[in-house]
Amino acid sequence: MTTEVSSELTAEQIWKVEEGERRSVGVIHIVILALLIGIGFVVGAFGSISFPLGFGVNFFWTGIAVQQVGPVWFGGWGVLAGAIFPFFSNAISGTPFYVSLAYVPANAVQAFLPAWVFRRFKLDPRLRSGRDYGYLFLAMIVSSAFGALWSPLVVLKGFGLLTADSVPLFIWGWFGGNVVAGVVFNFILLKALSPVVIRTTAFVKRWWS
Amino acid sequence: MNKTLLGYVPNESPIYYIHPFVKLFFLLIVSLFPLFVTAPEWNIGLMLAIILLMWISRVDMRTLKIYIPIAVSMGSIILLSYTVLGGTHPEFELIVRIIGVNIYWERIRDAVIVYFRILPMIFTMVFFLTTSRERDIIVAMRSIRIPFVVTYVFAMALRSAGMVLEDFQIVRQAEQARGFDPAGKSIAYKIRQYVMYMIPLFALSLRRSEEFTNALVARGYAFTGEASRIKRPDYILTHYQFKALDLVFTVVIGLLFIILLVMHYGYNFFGMETSWLIQLLRDVVS
Repeated sequence: MTTEVSSELTAEQIWKVEEGERRSVGVIHIVILALLIGIGFVVGAFGSISFPLGFGVNFFWTGIAVQQVGPVWFGGWGVLAGAIFPFFSNAISGTPFYVSLAYVPANAVQAFLPAWVFRRFKLDPRLRSGRDYGYLFLAMIVSSAFGALWSPLVVLKGFGLLTADSVPLFIWGWFGGNVVAGVVFNFILLKALSPVVIRTTAFVKRWWS
Repeated sequence: MNKTLLGYVPNESPIYYIHPFVKLFFLLIVSLFPLFVTAPEWNIGLMLAIILLMWISRVDMRTLKIYIPIAVSMGSIILLSYTVLGGTHPEFELIVRIIGVNIYWERIRDAVIVYFRILPMIFTMVFFLTTSRERDIIVAMRSIRIPFVVTYVFAMALRSAGMVLEDFQIVRQAEQARGFDPAGKSIAYKIRQYVMYMIPLFALSLRRSEEFTNALVARGYAFTGEASRIKRPDYILTHYQFKALDLVFTVVIGLLFIILLVMHYGYNFFGMETSWLIQLLRDVVS
């Protein structure tokens, strides 16, 4: 199931749909969506149980790796998985159903932004230059900041679970827990596996195929 | 024994007389109850009712052990968040001052209320996870006419979570066989080593995606195009019938929720003003 692609592809070429190249949504994308939800479920639950701050907020959320690396490789399928799997990993670690549901927008943005940055600025998923690292890091910071603001301020305050004075702890907990785990995992995963992933038919150049 | 999402339940469990949709409906509706109940005694009552349902369903109660640390840590965080990190509020009643931190009665009360709101929600989820098999969730989703592709993705995701766990064990054993021993090491070291699990896990999953796809294509599955429009027989649904008892349960759950809303908004019921437990707590801390 691999396609013949030169190992010397430039970042621009990785994302470019060549003339005559036919790309369409296939069974493999549906499978990838399911598998990403499955990996995220397990990996995210590990973080949620091991380093809990409470209500699904963690000091070190390992699920961020699946949430941000998956969309870079698999576009919209990764974003969908990134928005859905925390719902399961949070559920298994005891986060109430409706709180998990209300986290969906935060998780969707966290998954979407790095994928959008890579496609918009034609970055290399193999992380070959400082620009690739820099933009990815920036996307991680901005998306986690959104998640960190949305979840404690909108969700947890909305459910009456936090006092105004304790909100900063949860904002920093969410932000730090995601960014630190992202720094630990995202760069290594992209560096190690992107050269293989971009050769597979599952790799998504646009958003869905 | 039936393997559920969070343990094992005997084949003879009464829970299997109930249609899976009722369990899903229970989760969706009963999870809302604590949002409209402030008095902790009602939420404790709900929690006990769910534990009773788990016992009737013959759930292995040892499963609950894994939630004890979560419940304790969540309780501690809520208490700390409301008391130590609760800020300075001259308008509140000061109970005690510890190392410069003011502990107010209102903050302790609010922490207790929030904690006992969260617990029944967790127990509802645990009840669902301990009594539902993968198949039950699929049946529940198909019963409410959720599209085939969504149900299928859901089923594959649940199945792949199990496979990822197996892969995780394999990778761990392989690393242990090469002399890797995390015992007694620092958290920073363990986190660093965790990266060693992630790369093979991802790589194995990517390989599995190809195997999965080939298997599906070989069986004629398609999620887009002409082939996807063929009406599929819902074979699994033929094993489940929505009986009169299921209808009764569904109506009772729905009615209980409506009664709760009427009592809460119409008669100001379930509030903390009328809570004897809060009054008791007040007497204890004063």
